[in-house]
Amino acid sequence: MSKLKENFNDKKMTAVIILSCLGIVSMLADIFSYKKALWYIVLAGVAGAIVANLNEKSNAIIYDMLLTDNYAIWFSTLILALVLLWFMVSKDQYESGVYNSSDNYALILFATVGALILTSFSDLTMMFLGIEILSIPLFILAGSNKKDVSSNEASLKYFLAGAFASGILLFGITFIYGSTGTFKLDKIADWANAAGSNLPALFYTGILLVMVGLAFKVSAAPFHFWTPDVYQGSPMFVTAFMATIVKGAAFAGFFRLFYTSFTSASGSWALILSILIAATILTGNIIAVYQSSVKRMLAYSSIAQAGYILLTVLLSNQEAKYALLLYIASYGVSTITAFTVLYHVEKIKGTDTFESFTSLSQTHPLLSVVMTIAMLSLAGIPPTIGFFAKFYLFSSVLKSNTSYLWLIMVSVAGSLVSVYYYFRVIIAMYGQHEPIISSEKKQIPAFYNVLLLLLVCVIIILGMMPDVLMSIDNL
Amino acid sequence: MKDLFTNSLNGYILLSSLLFCIGVLGVLIRKNIIILFMSIELMLNAVNLLLAAFSVHHNNPDGQVFVFFIMAVAAAEITVGLAILVMIYRNTGSVSIDALKKLKW
Amino acid sequence: MLNLVFLIPLLPLTGFLILGSLNNRLPKTIVSFVGCGTVLGSFVIVLTLLSGTLSGTITSATISYFDWIYAGDLNLKMSFLIDPLSVLMMTIITGVGFLIHVYSAGYMHEDSGFVRYFAFLNLFVFSMLLLVMGSNYVVMFAGWEGVGLCSYLLIGFWFKKDAYNDAAQKAFVMNRIGDLGFLLGMILIFTTFGSLDYDDVFKNATSVLTENSGVAIAITLLLFIGATGKSAQIPLYTWLPDAMAGPTPVSALIHAATMVTAGIYMVVRSNILYSLAPFTLDVILAIGLATALFAASMGLFQNDIKKVLAYSTVSQLGYMFFALGLGAFSAGMFHVTTHAFFKALLFLGAGSVIHALHHEQDIRNMGGLSKKLPITFLTFLTATLAIAGIPPFAGFFSKDEILAAAYERSPVLWALGLAGALMTTFYMFRLLFVTFFGTFRGTDEQKHHLHESPLVMTIPLMVLALLSIIGGFIGVPEVLGGSNFLKNFLSSVIIPYGEKHEHLSHSTEWILMTTSTLAVIATIIMAYVIFVVKKSVPAEDNKISGLQKLIYNKYYVDEIYDTLFSKPVTFLSKIFHSVVESKIVDATVNAVGKAVSASSKILRLSQSGNISYYLYVMVIGIILILFINNIL
Repeated sequence: MSKLKENFNDKKMTAVIILSCLGIVSMLADIFSYKKALWYIVLAGVAGAIVANLNEKSNAIIYDMLLTDNYAIWFSTLILALVLLWFMVSKDQYESGVYNSSDNYALILFATVGALILTSFSDLTMMFLGIEILSIPLFILAGSNKKDVSSNEASLKYFLAGAFASGILLFGITFIYGSTGTFKLDKIADWANAAGSNLPALFYTGILLVMVGLAFKVSAAPFHFWTPDVYQGSPMFVTAFMATIVKGAAFAGFFRLFYTSFTSASGSWALILSILIAATILTGNIIAVYQSSVKRMLAYSSIAQAGYILLTVLLSNQEAKYALLLYIASYGVSTITAFTVLYHVEKIKGTDTFESFTSLSQTHPLLSVVMTIAMLSLAGIPPTIGFFAKFYLFSSVLKSNTSYLWLIMVSVAGSLVSVYYYFRVIIAMYGQHEPIISSEKKQIPAFYNVLLLLLVCVIIILGMMPDVLMSIDNL
Repeated sequence: MKDLFTNSLNGYILLSSLLFCIGVLGVLIRKNIIILFMSIELMLNAVNLLLAAFSVHHNNPDGQVFVFFIMAVAAAEITVGLAILVMIYRNTGSVSIDALKKLKW
Repeated sequence: MLNLVFLIPLLPLTGFLILGSLNNRLPKTIVSFVGCGTVLGSFVIVLTLLSGTLSGTITSATISYFDWIYAGDLNLKMSFLIDPLSVLMMTIITGVGFLIHVYSAGYMHEDSGFVRYFAFLNLFVFSMLLLVMGSNYVVMFAGWEGVGLCSYLLIGFWFKKDAYNDAAQKAFVMNRIGDLGFLLGMILIFTTFGSLDYDDVFKNATSVLTENSGVAIAITLLLFIGATGKSAQIPLYTWLPDAMAGPTPVSALIHAATMVTAGIYMVVRSNILYSLAPFTLDVILAIGLATALFAASMGLFQNDIKKVLAYSTVSQLGYMFFALGLGAFSAGMFHVTTHAFFKALLFLGAGSVIHALHHEQDIRNMGGLSKKLPITFLTFLTATLAIAGIPPFAGFFSKDEILAAAYERSPVLWALGLAGALMTTFYMFRLLFVTFFGTFRGTDEQKHHLHESPLVMTIPLMVLALLSIIGGFIGVPEVLGGSNFLKNFLSSVIIPYGEKHEHLSHSTEWILMTTSTLAVIATIIMAYVIFVVKKSVPAEDNKISGLQKLIYNKYYVDEIYDTLFSKPVTFLSKIFHSVVESKIVDATVNAVGKAVSASSKILRLSQSGNISYYLYVMVIGIILILFINNIL
């Protein structure tokens, strides 16, 4: 206990501690029957965690395991902000009675702790623990709709694929440990610098296996197969959580590891990574074209987006950090918005196909506008944040290394294809007109209207002045 | 080949890799979900063995500490896995992965 | 004067926000008042700027408002550049835009989407102003995308018809392909110059880029690809004829007078870069000329009044690029200006005809309208004379300047340019004669309801007609006693290019002018003989062999016209239309789409639903990765 207090006074790891306690508080809600107030408590707690995180002592080294540098603090803040947003938009799903909100909230909070660790680890042990703390609650959450066989199937697929990938990641970590004798990121980097170009096979095989393990977590091709099935089967907001926060945290961890430790060894992995990126962008974008479920389309779109984000890992320089932060923010906000609209449309129409969006502009003009903006942002069309994120990412790749021009061309071709399937939604909403069944006119609560409008404003305002995110010093 | 037997570390690497591959093959080939779990455990144990060997080789305790973490996480993971399995068995009456092919394309 | 500049784009934006948020809750009078009033307000401010630039008090002013994007070494300001070029464009946009807004108040009065229409139109004016006023490429790009969006929304304005939606999508997709070029060009400019501000780029252009270097060519070509999309040049022109699905005033404003000239504005704005890449200029020359001739030949046999004008627009845009390719940047801008007047007038006149006939667009069902619609007829006649280039109408001076520039380069180019001009003259007079002369060929119902349009529509027509008459005097060449005012006006923005060529002597210029004018008049007479004296009417669609009918009439002129002129051109026109356009251009675009969709259909089957199979692929992936790594 005294250690905890010491940490608090030192302003170290406060966000992680707050979230862990909040998770326990959330689990006890059923016993002490304050479940009705739980949502407010959690919201206040997460908001508190954001404040605590911003006040975190910078560059503190915690037991030589975590390092709260600017990178850690800002990515944690971004993730916490997305979690806060998630709690706001998912309220309806957890009030419907199908899910037990106290258990689910606790699992989400624990997963968030894992996400925070992934942004700030300085040791491979912590990276492994972060990934597992992030994943294990999600195995359960994916299956949280217990009576639904699809949800069961998603849960099992996620579990098997996840556990398998963890095994490979661990095997890679072991190889790196075997050749360097340490788990510390900075020491691994020193060792690799000293070894120069003469790297032992054990070491670079280790790097590649770690890359595979992480590529699985961020769903890069050809390790993406679990993604569409799991995204489709899981409850809507669990999918939203996986697509935004989990993916964001996994990328933050991926980048942190490769940027800190493996830049000097980039000769052994850069080419493979660039092939993975091209494969990911093409697979995701092309398969998305032929989907009939919007949710599954968004799953493939998230694979494609993962391809773009991986470009930052390929770059692994100072500028790439900004590109990563910007892209995760842009992608996270736009995706959460899209999933929220999709949730309400599915609730009203009963399905999540493209057809369910037909004539939405007549019955729900606001939902249609919001969805349009979200799709424009995902497709990367100005004046949304998605445009600037893509532009900044591509131009920083070209600026640092023009030999990746081919990769940028693949990316741009991919995003041209993506315009097609994102616009399918818009066209369905505005282009087609069918007689309206009165049950489809049911409006959504005013709270969500306000929330969605707010999200749209964020997407557009950030698109107009992204320098809010770019002005962070020394990320 | 001679080096393989004179340097004991290489023997451990070979043994662990073999164990790991057996685990991987088990995951790929078997259909019963419980056996799949066991195969995954085998993969993790191969890693544990190798970590312990490297730890001794480098004369550095970190590797063995990591082994404990892996054991704890694996236990948690498998608990969740079994819970998922029970849920699936209730809904489908089967523990074969072939029962679950609804989500595709 | 300059402190009001921010209001110029802000007023139409306010109009859009007001109209967009108060959808259908305002009386139509107030809607049209807001819609037109905001643009008028901008126009008045632009006029003060214009007088400032004319008197020389403003030469080139950059006004920054706030830091838009500040990231690493990318520092972009939301700032406007006020110089003669942007002021000229702003004058056209707000002036012609205002007239078209007024006209729309009458034309769209019965439409249920009246408010939506004005909201979009205001948004368009805002985006277009942003495009020309921006002082860096990103602001231009924002406007560029904005006008594309408005164009999409307005082409598909009557979205209940599927064909219109398809047209809108086609326009959007074609434009996106062009935008991609623009975007890549921008990225390349940024990596080369480290900035996207016009100031930085143009000042350093000569020191950073060497003439005809790879980078210079790449940048200019990529930007030009953007221009081909927006300004409907080969091979991305096919969206423009389809874009006629939108309301006619929209065609006048967006697809004739302003948006489609954005590509020309962009090239002229970057003229310093282009003058460093003569290779690109040659490409532009070739594409511009090809588009001008090709589109004009397709215009010869169109029977939809708006389609004729659409092909004519493509052809005229080709003409402008032809001028740019010759390095005659100011002549290109001159033609942009005069074209804005007479083409807007033509479209509005066509709109007036369509309005009078209750949405009849086929010229074969018109005829003899000159008596019923006198004002429309007279103004349409003015515009036709202007586009044909009869002195002293506006088109004469701008066209003459381009032709003179072409002759300086080579007489062959001059002849080709003249051929394009003659085709233009022929189809425009064909349109005029078939529509307004002879006897009425529509239904009795239509005849009964024939009426001249209300004043709110005819007044803009008359103003534009006046401009089409006098608009050319801003660029009277020296040989006619003028001082080529426009060229001097723009001289601070446009660096002289191609001065190494010898200037034409005054006598040569006189000869060229007389020749082209006489040829134009001869063409008009030919059209008059065919369509008025002989009263021939284009054949019905279902009588494809209608040409034989004409032969049966045994008119000597017809026969000559038919064998010498019409048949080969019809043939070419058909080939271009059915083979080049639909088989090659469209088919390539469609094939790419189909290939993606087909591969999607196949690839998605790889997602079999079987988890063992997923893990199996994953393991194969790992083995491949390790394998690749070991061989490399």
